[in-house]
Amino acid sequence: MRLLLLCLTIPGLALAQDQPAPAASSSPDQSTPAATSDFPISGSVELGYRFVPGVGGSQDVYNSTVNLSQGLRLINLDFNVAPVKSLFDHFEVQASSWGDPYNTTRVDISKDNVYRFTANYGNTAYFNFLPSYVNPAASTGAVLTESSFNTQIRTSGVELDILPGHWISPYIGWSRDSWYGSGITDFTMFPNNYPVNNSISDSTDTFRGGVQLQLKETHVVLEAGGTTFRDDQGENDNQLNNGDFTVPFLGQQLSLSSLNALYRVRGDSEYARGSIASNPLPWLSISGNFMYADPTLTTNYNSAENGTLFLPATFAFYNSGQDIATADANMPHSSGSLTVEVRPLKRMRVVEYWSTDRLHNAADSLLYEQYLETGSPFVNTSQANERLVLTNNEQQVEVFYDLLPNLTIRGGERFEWGGATVQGALLSELPLESTNLSRNTGLAGVSYRLKQTLRASADFEASSNPQDYFRTSLYNYWRLRSRAQWEFLPNWRLAGDFFEMNNSNPEPMVDLHFVSRAETASLTWLPKGGHNVNMLLEYTRSNVNSNILYLDPGTLASLPSIYLENGNTATALIELAPKAMGSFAPRFSFGGSLFTSAGSRPTDYYQPTARLSIPLAKGVLWNSEWSWYSLAERTYAFEDFRSNQLMMSLKYTHQPTR
Amino acid sequence: MLFEKTCPYLAAAALLVGMAAARAQTPNGFAGSDKCAACHDEISKAFDKNPHHVVDTDKHLGHAGFACEACHGPGAKHTDSLSASDIRNPGKLTPDEQNKLCLSCHRNESTPVGRISGGHPEGGPGCVGCHSIHGTDHRPLVVHRAPEVNKMCSACHQAEWADFQQPHRHRLPEGAMSCVDCHNPHGSRGNEMMRTAFANEPGCFRCHGAMRGPFTYEHAPVRLEGCTDCHEAHGSENPRMLTRHEVRFVCLECHANLVTNPAPSGHQTLGGVPPAFHDLRNPRYQNCTVCHVKVHGSYVDGNLLR
Repeated sequence: MRLLLLCLTIPGLALAQDQPAPAASSSPDQSTPAATSDFPISGSVELGYRFVPGVGGSQDVYNSTVNLSQGLRLINLDFNVAPVKSLFDHFEVQASSWGDPYNTTRVDISKDNVYRFTANYGNTAYFNFLPSYVNPAASTGAVLTESSFNTQIRTSGVELDILPGHWISPYIGWSRDSWYGSGITDFTMFPNNYPVNNSISDSTDTFRGGVQLQLKETHVVLEAGGTTFRDDQGENDNQLNNGDFTVPFLGQQLSLSSLNALYRVRGDSEYARGSIASNPLPWLSISGNFMYADPTLTTNYNSAENGTLFLPATFAFYNSGQDIATADANMPHSSGSLTVEVRPLKRMRVVEYWSTDRLHNAADSLLYEQYLETGSPFVNTSQANERLVLTNNEQQVEVFYDLLPNLTIRGGERFEWGGATVQGALLSELPLESTNLSRNTGLAGVSYRLKQTLRASADFEASSNPQDYFRTSLYNYWRLRSRAQWEFLPNWRLAGDFFEMNNSNPEPMVDLHFVSRAETASLTWLPKGGHNVNMLLEYTRSNVNSNILYLDPGTLASLPSIYLENGNTATALIELAPKAMGSFAPRFSFGGSLFTSAGSRPTDYYQPTARLSIPLAKGVLWNSEWSWYSLAERTYAFEDFRSNQLMMSLKYTHQPTR
Repeated sequence: MLFEKTCPYLAAAALLVGMAAARAQTPNGFAGSDKCAACHDEISKAFDKNPHHVVDTDKHLGHAGFACEACHGPGAKHTDSLSASDIRNPGKLTPDEQNKLCLSCHRNESTPVGRISGGHPEGGPGCVGCHSIHGTDHRPLVVHRAPEVNKMCSACHQAEWADFQQPHRHRLPEGAMSCVDCHNPHGSRGNEMMRTAFANEPGCFRCHGAMRGPFTYEHAPVRLEGCTDCHEAHGSENPRMLTRHEVRFVCLECHANLVTNPAPSGHQTLGGVPPAFHDLRNPRYQNCTVCHVKVHGSYVDGNLLR
């Protein structure tokens, strides 16, 4: 009987040994360490406390740029749950910076060939109070801003893919972004403007569903979705507000005693997109996509203000006013592209690309204004129809040729054309303005690769005598980008990057000369994989120079607008991990970044940092991180700040035993 | 008795049948993943935790049981000779060859649609430059953590990372965002591989939905040339990440031509001259957005004042 069993099992064993037998070797239950652990969760958690002894200089500017405060923080949470065969093969959660103004969470759960579920959440505090941006009283020495924010931007979303990896894979998803908080904005009533409280509250919800079809030579994605949008921002002020115009106007001191303005904006849109990629022949690839969206918005606006205000339309003062506006806007937007790649020779490929993008915004508004003047009430009703029409097209052909096995050159041509019609600008005396785009650009590039040690590439494009939409658009321009990486010794890598863009417009009323240049060099040293010591040094020198004529609105004289920025950025990171003395194996790193610029807005911004990690016990790590932030602006010295902070944390890592 | 005598022969015959059956399921010249794992144990273990391991288990994908050779090519000769020259190493192929190899399965994914018109293919890193196919060195196939994504991208895009060292920037150095939140490294229909939102709208609106509109009164550059016409998305010295140190210079570079007087070439550009009461000697008028607060577009006012 035992021989019979042997007879039956030997073929099976042979089969098991000789055939690939994937299931036996790659079952998630066997491959994931946690499966054999008592505790079904692996990962790490890091909790810490940040000490911020104080901020020197402007606290508002510190909050606008760094915004890190003292307190307990969940620095990082990262764990995997061992597979539960009937539910999931993969369960991963990542969260970071909870307690800080920027925090994220991500959940990824999947079961092979059955489903994949992902969820994301991100919260970014947007605090911005920088007097140099909007400060009409700067000349008087007052440090204020009339445009500031104390807000949060939140994004979240979930997506469920069904049967991922199968030839047909449906998916559904939802995402949301919202912006809410408070701030300061301006209420403008000529000739004065009044800083008032601003409440911000808007959100966009997006729902989508689609299907991916993966056929033998063709893949298709079809998706349809929709959005809903709401914006309930408001402005209010109930204190006497003299605004920025502090001298009497026509014998009276202008003031705002109360304001209540409310926007109620609602919108929705449907969108659809489809893309296809196919390899019908070994030498031919085709891909294309089509996208369409049709957002619409409806606005209801109501504003009521009181005070001593001036109405230019009647050239008289008034004490109470009310504006009611309703508006609708609709903007169908369609886009499409087609790419054909032909490989006529083994070393050659030709890529032809066409695209078109068209949108048409049509809006109507009705405004009712009522002002109670000293004499009789003034009532005005105005209606407006607005248009913005844009058509952009692009055709590009490029030829790639492998001159040598490790040297590829490419060349081609891109033609862009289109037109735009917009509402006539203020004082233009035209109801509509139109212009055309016509740009022909030559393209060239080369890439070289020598084994793993040297890689270099350069891309160049140039164009001249085009037509474009704006005075600052690309006119006579060229752009060059080159990159190289060289491992000149084992574990030593040198990299360089050069970029220059040069744009000029010789039209007498424009006379634009624009140059943007950046040169970067970096050195990396990773001996033995960088486990005991590693070093990264980077230096970037950048230059922006813009010179263009503008008309001084007051005198209509042509004056040069000159912008110059010479920036130097250096970053460094050096990590040292001395040989362990028993269980004592500390790790020390230091470095940071330095930015200093000269020119129109000289700025110095330093962020040095140092970190010490000491293992306390198996899986327990003590981290101490010191950081310094320092901003110095020579033109706007009132915005300078300095901050010194220390973060102490404990990190616990659990790795299941096998 | 007869049975016991014949059993060894039956066993031998069954063994031969089993081996033949096994051979029949492994394509000619292929060795199978188990044989690879015998020597490349570390890679094999890492690969088992990698999403690509379904290639080894899912018969529908066409490489069940020999996933390694789906990329490395037939390995039977290599398993016999143990010579590296007898097997393909995708890491040593040119980026274009790497891409072709990966795209032989992934060619039709939605993201690679843009590859051939994007920036990465031209001498770029190729798929394995960013993706750890085996999942070794604790690098997953797809990096999701923002700091790790940023570290990977900045290894090549150093000048861009230098921009983020300026005081006013998107929060990438803090790990709150990553490069791929805005850029699709596989390619895009937009410039600079920018992502899109709501099918064909600029990707900036994914977070800044309030700027999407459509507004009753549009500010044309937002639609015609996009957010980067005025903003330095990576970082700036300006508090609102503008392209110039003060807001008036951003505005006046465009709003400085009399539209009723086209250029001598006859070509007309958009934008107009501000009214003459804007006395730039007065600090109020040096900060255009003091009054024009709805500079991205307004629901109710054509002068973008409210």
